[in-house]
Amino acid sequence: MRANFIFSEVWIGLRRNLTMTIAVIITVAVGMAMLGVGLMINAQVSMMKDFWYDKVEVSVFLCTKNTANETCKGKAITAPQTQALQKQIQGLPGVEKVFYEDQVAAYKNFQESFASNKALVAATKAEDMPTSFRVKLINPDNYQPIVQSLTGQPGVAQVLNQKDLVSKVFELLDKLRGGAIVVAVVLVLAAALLIGNTVRLSAFNRRRETGIMRLVGASNLYIQLPFVMEGLISGLIGGVFAAVLLILAKVLLFEEIGAQLTRGAQIGWNDVASVITLTMAIGVVICVLASFVTLRRYLRV
Amino acid sequence: MIHFDNVTKAYANQNRPALDHVSVDVDKGEFVFLVGPSGSGKSTFLRLILKEERPNSGAIHVAGKDLGRLSNFKVPHLRRRIGCVFQDFRLLPNKNVYENVAFALEVIGKPRRFIRKVVPEVIELVGLEGKAHRMPDELSGGEQQRVAMARAFVNRPMILLADEPTGNIDPATSIGIMKVLDRINRTGTTVVMATHDAAIVDSMRKRVVELEDGKIVRDQSRGVYGQAY
Repeated sequence: MRANFIFSEVWIGLRRNLTMTIAVIITVAVGMAMLGVGLMINAQVSMMKDFWYDKVEVSVFLCTKNTANETCKGKAITAPQTQALQKQIQGLPGVEKVFYEDQVAAYKNFQESFASNKALVAATKAEDMPTSFRVKLINPDNYQPIVQSLTGQPGVAQVLNQKDLVSKVFELLDKLRGGAIVVAVVLVLAAALLIGNTVRLSAFNRRRETGIMRLVGASNLYIQLPFVMEGLISGLIGGVFAAVLLILAKVLLFEEIGAQLTRGAQIGWNDVASVITLTMAIGVVICVLASFVTLRRYLRV
Repeated sequence: MIHFDNVTKAYANQNRPALDHVSVDVDKGEFVFLVGPSGSGKSTFLRLILKEERPNSGAIHVAGKDLGRLSNFKVPHLRRRIGCVFQDFRLLPNKNVYENVAFALEVIGKPRRFIRKVVPEVIELVGLEGKAHRMPDELSGGEQQRVAMARAFVNRPMILLADEPTGNIDPATSIGIMKVLDRINRTGTTVVMATHDAAIVDSMRKRVVELEDGKIVRDQSRGVYGQAY
């Protein structure tokens, strides 16, 4: 096996079909990038689920002087009512922990959450904050009975299940992931067909050479390898571009836009690296397979 | 060396078989002319030796191998022991003489040192010394055919098949081509040449096998092209 002979053949083939090669590279790059983004969203979502579902609580907001809710009838909750409510919540089945968030603590949290919006923080005072019970559940999915039994209790303004809010975000992300993967599948299909066409053109351009190779007894491997290598190299270059796109996606999409949502649960560079490795492997395998299948049809050996 | 035993080959969509129960034996070192009108089965005969086609019935042995039992995987190794020359030369137009000959060795993975040694030898054998760096379009038809013969012979095949090698060449130049084929034959290589060229067959006085409508109608040692009917 003479490597430089094979490589010079591959180089000639790629150069002759330059436009087709570029088309293949672009399709593979975009397709693999979409697949990679889908996989990254997937990793991000499962990470966020772990992070958030561990923290979601049922918030029981209590009436204060300024609460506008009808159930409060304009009166603040009294101290005995608060104590009774806490006992009642602790007695409910499925409750793991209850803690009381007073106005000062609520204001502190509010300041942290809206640190970027200074005007809002300045306009809000600690007295505007509601007091609440934060109820941590043993099983966050089993919130229904707790919400039902607490709604309408005296002194309770509103019962809010945080999981409902978080779930909406996850649903949106799941849709994005699904979309990215559908686009990826379509592009991968297009890439496979394009590679088939490129290899066919290559085989036609080099029919003299392959004819003589057959005649003088070159092995099938020797005849087919340059064509398969063309597919492989296009796939690899496409994969490198996809990797660049994925790194950009990590920096621009996941770190900038996603930072608010993800907080501490940001996917790391090792996740990105494994996604890149996987997409590159898939890209190369598809390119090589497409080359092989086309060769079987168009290059009789 | 080549042994056909009752071989029949019919192509699809043709009512008459290209070869019809052909049996023939060619010994090692023989020089055989294959003559007959167009469509008489000469090319099919050569293609069957290369296992480019499969016979419908009968057995073919080439260089001691039963082609019917030879797996596809081993066909390239069979072809390495058979050289081929054609009417249309089949040279690579973007490679010079040396590269065209060397190509045949490169693609079967021969080491470069070996190629550097044998290619000039065989270029000299076919009488093209000094023209190794010419491109095919700078050569006459006869010279191009010599390049093709050099390429066919460079791997020292046991058998050389020539399909009308003088078909595109004027009679005077053809004599030179035949001298090269004779030289190759003298090294012990079996030569089978399909031809229409009566003058060449008559002058060489070698074995003649005549095909007509896929049947052998004559097999004569030291024969001529057309019998005195």
